[in-house]
Amino acid sequence: MAGSDLPVDLPSDLDVLVIGTGAGGSPLLARLAVSGLKVAALEAGVRHPPSGIATDEVAQAGLFWMDERLSAGADPLAFGRNNSGRGVGGSTLHYTAYTPRAQPDDFRLRSEFGQGVDWPLDYADLEPYYEEVEQFLGVSGPETYPWGPARQRPYRHPALPLNGAARLMARACEQAGIRTSPAANAALSRPQQQEGYGERHACTNRGFCQAGCSVGAKASMDITYLALAEAHGARIIDGAFVTELTLTNGRVDGAVFVRNATEQRLKAKTVVLSAGAVETPRLLLRQGLANASGQVGRNFMAHVGVQVWGQVDDDLRPYKGIPGGLISEDTHRLPGIVGGYLLQSLGVMPVTYAAQYARGTLTWGQQLIDHMRGYNHVAGINVLGDCLPYEHNYLELTGELDVRGLPKPRIHFSFGDNEKRMGEHAETLMRSLWASIGAEQIWALPRAAHTLGTARMGHDPAVNVVDAYGSVHDTPGLWICDNSTYPSALGVNPALTQMALSLRAADELIRRIRA
Amino acid sequence: MCSLSALCSLLAGSGPRLSSQERGAVLALLHSSAVTPVTRQVLLERLDARQERQFLSEAEFNRLRAAAVRLVPHDPAEIDVIGPLDARLHSGLSGDGWRYADAPPDAEAYRTLLAALPGGFVTLSGEQQDEALRTVQSSHARAFEDLLSELAETFFAHPLTQHRIGYVGFADAPGWPNVGPNELEAREVSHGGQ
Repeated sequence: MAGSDLPVDLPSDLDVLVIGTGAGGSPLLARLAVSGLKVAALEAGVRHPPSGIATDEVAQAGLFWMDERLSAGADPLAFGRNNSGRGVGGSTLHYTAYTPRAQPDDFRLRSEFGQGVDWPLDYADLEPYYEEVEQFLGVSGPETYPWGPARQRPYRHPALPLNGAARLMARACEQAGIRTSPAANAALSRPQQQEGYGERHACTNRGFCQAGCSVGAKASMDITYLALAEAHGARIIDGAFVTELTLTNGRVDGAVFVRNATEQRLKAKTVVLSAGAVETPRLLLRQGLANASGQVGRNFMAHVGVQVWGQVDDDLRPYKGIPGGLISEDTHRLPGIVGGYLLQSLGVMPVTYAAQYARGTLTWGQQLIDHMRGYNHVAGINVLGDCLPYEHNYLELTGELDVRGLPKPRIHFSFGDNEKRMGEHAETLMRSLWASIGAEQIWALPRAAHTLGTARMGHDPAVNVVDAYGSVHDTPGLWICDNSTYPSALGVNPALTQMALSLRAADELIRRIRA
Repeated sequence: MCSLSALCSLLAGSGPRLSSQERGAVLALLHSSAVTPVTRQVLLERLDARQERQFLSEAEFNRLRAAAVRLVPHDPAEIDVIGPLDARLHSGLSGDGWRYADAPPDAEAYRTLLAALPGGFVTLSGEQQDEALRTVQSSHARAFEDLLSELAETFFAHPLTQHRIGYVGFADAPGWPNVGPNELEAREVSHGGQ
């Protein structure tokens, strides 16, 4: 995983050093660079330009964070391909580019239900950033979106075409009285100029978003915010694995990283940690940093993500079209459940589907092959459901060392009663939807999606790691800007909200630097 | 990757005649303009890839081969599904970025699973092997699940397997202008068994 072999001429006098170039670090890096600050980013993975992306799942394994993590609890989480990215652009290299906004009540679960926690910010705080991100990325979406507050500006591009699974889900939902809409996806239905990158091609309906986009249609960070950042002078050093934050007199002032087996250091007035909800707490716990609250590593969350699959007579070709073309948020609130979920149609790549089916059903031998002969007729629906923070879900360091000699993390994850109720509700509904259109061989894959929590934000330093913008309460010079700061999971895919939070953090950081 | 290309060609050509027809169809599509150069390179290399044993013992490797033939039925002379697994164990890297916290590291877990198969496993009949595999599926559930998943990934990533399930998604260079049900391009109609 070495970066370019060219020796790195390190920048000096940095105002801000960002660690990680996913949805957390990238918009912030761009904002700081555009504002004239001297900034750099360290990224453990390497660059994956669209021209180098093969339409092959195994060949694209390099997009994923494959350092081994230990999964404990009643619902042990799959990492790697399921939720963890590596490379310039982070997990946005393989995200499905779903970009629904959270709804206002998502941020106030405690107020609404007396469970979970409220966020230290409101929808209104994020709304202008949501709009800015959507316009900048070039989100494709419907003219009117049926759920949530009215939008100030329409989506920049028309919605992408609906593939087989999306059209079947539309039909099934209509029969069941459930409203659906073409989804908002950060993939272009029309070409778009992108500063620092050039013209991004419109989506060719190559449904391989989760293995990387080869045409530049999908708004991964490398061809959007990071391109903008570099156009404004930001330095991005790839293949740089950060092993330590450096401190002087209690203030974080840089990082040590390993690149091409050589240890190097970078100094900066402020460091922003954007390594995600596993690597961020892993680094902090190793150094005993930022943890006066004892909350680092606590409240790990993952979205309820059960999938239901079926096969129909129609030849669907599930490798075609944006995988998640259709959405419904009619299940945003349900009786007897805290929070709610949204429904999304699902296309799928063959190796992912085969491995999930084999693991999920323990089918093997000729039966496995017979099932896979129906691959072209497979359609899926999945949900994305809220998850409450719990004491019993947390990340800790183990005594088992990885290839770098660093302790592997162990992540404890068990659904609470609320998530179990939600998952059962969702599975029952999706099974009935697929049965209603005559799908056969229906099966469900219980699953959790995304990595969230472990360094949560909140006003009170006694029980939170960062403030409402991401500045670490107890450690000067250090900010956290990634999904580890989520106090609750929100009932939507996290990337868009993460990017909005990133721009908001950047604006506050600039304000404080200039104050 | 095969170091002895003559041997590889020999092995690949030694399958049934049906296999060589399928191979021809796969090669024709891979060499067409419907496949991007970067995708073509990856799939052509995989089509004939054979990896020598590096990590497991010869006895373990033979058991693994026999088990793999039952779990993801295939001709080992045609598709190498255990070489990549052995090479991965040799590298010490994780195959998928995680493992169950209550399971030992993959190499140890797989070795224990293979050792739990009955004596003479490789010479048992297919039905007897299936019976033995069902036993370890219960007794070594985590390792069995991981092994099955890893073998399935390698097997279904092979161009011949993909041809046989009618998968054409890699031939995407022209894009897919029509994505609705039954809206097939000519190359989707003509390629693969369905």
